[in-house]
Amino acid sequence: MKNLFYLLALVILTVIELSWPHWLDFFHCQPDLLLIFMVAIVFYADFKTALAFGVAAGLAKDIFLPWNFAINTVSFGVWSYLIFRLSRQISTDEHYVRLAIVLVAAILNNAVIGIQSVASGNIISPSIFLRNLIIVSVYTTLLAPLIFKLTKKIAS
Amino acid sequence: MLKLPRKTLINFILPVCAILLVANSLSCFKNSTQSIFTPQLSLIGLVKREISGIIFYHRNMVQAERLQAEVDLLRLRLFDFRELVQENSRLKNLFNFKQKSPLRLVGARVIARSPDSWSSSLIIDKGRFSGIKPGMVVTSPQGLVGSIVESNDHTSKVLLINDPNQGISSIVQRSRQEGLVSGTLGTNLIMRYLPDEAQITVGDVIVTSELSQIYPKGLLVGRVVNIGREFSGLNRYALVKPIVDLANLEEVLVIIQ
Repeated sequence: MKNLFYLLALVILTVIELSWPHWLDFFHCQPDLLLIFMVAIVFYADFKTALAFGVAAGLAKDIFLPWNFAINTVSFGVWSYLIFRLSRQISTDEHYVRLAIVLVAAILNNAVIGIQSVASGNIISPSIFLRNLIIVSVYTTLLAPLIFKLTKKIAS
Repeated sequence: MLKLPRKTLINFILPVCAILLVANSLSCFKNSTQSIFTPQLSLIGLVKREISGIIFYHRNMVQAERLQAEVDLLRLRLFDFRELVQENSRLKNLFNFKQKSPLRLVGARVIARSPDSWSSSLIIDKGRFSGIKPGMVVTSPQGLVGSIVESNDHTSKVLLINDPNQGISSIVQRSRQEGLVSGTLGTNLIMRYLPDEAQITVGDVIVTSELSQIYPKGLLVGRVVNIGREFSGLNRYALVKPIVDLANLEEVLVIIQ
């Protein structure tokens, strides 16, 4: 039953991310709600569920992107696994620790996608690269508590 | 039973009534009388209204709530109506453009946007069933929007012109100087490979070139807002502001033929 609710949450978050209103953009940046969901589910569900939904979240994002290579599917799976490993090494009960993990995951994910885009020959100016790296990650982190609450409610 | 003597009736009441009737028809008398009584009447009216307000408090409250709900509903309908008026005007523009254009066009509605900030794309509500295939050009009455990169049965993915993966062979309309326009993920596009002696100035209009394999010749791309020298020093580049407001697109046209 919980998995069904997680799936429903995933669908809702995907729809929100796809139809994110332009007036809520911050410096032309929108938050990555699916990444927050991927991180949150690691904290509130068991490893297998977290990994499955992490990969599903990446897949949901990749389906609607114009690229052929499913970079988010791979990276979300990797982040899920790494965050799970990290949560066994350090205490993640504190709220700010979880937010810091979201921030680091967002920065890493954006860095990977940005570097991949530049490596494939696209010209992205340093200012836009940094904007997408920092502002998107910070905006994502600021919205994380909302998704954490939603995931916690489903888990409890 | 009050009985009035016939004499009193004839001598007193009838003349008074006659005087009153005559006086009533005279506006000066009427006005002065009314103005004398106005403050008292309005005071009485106020008291009467307040008392009836207290007596019928519950009825008024229910009525006010009902009316408030009605106002809210009407406001919502007015909002919908304004939206419909705007949509109607946009669709009228699209229709006029479609009628005038020699190209075969299919109108489509934007249903989703790119879920991240590293790409600039749209999803439209028309796909293979409407004859849309990858590589087709997407436009609007204002100018070029992008190209189709993927099409499903009922939806298609559009790569916008401000995506870095996009490359459009273009020319400066005034001097016919060629260059390659590509996206920067920002608000402006970049026109590259411009030689040193290129005749290009701020304000020049950029259109698609006939050398382009995908885009039809002469589609409006944007206007030059800045010119600079590339890092290598070999060529110059121009920053081009797209004519189309790519962030607020709601309907687009796909060129079928």
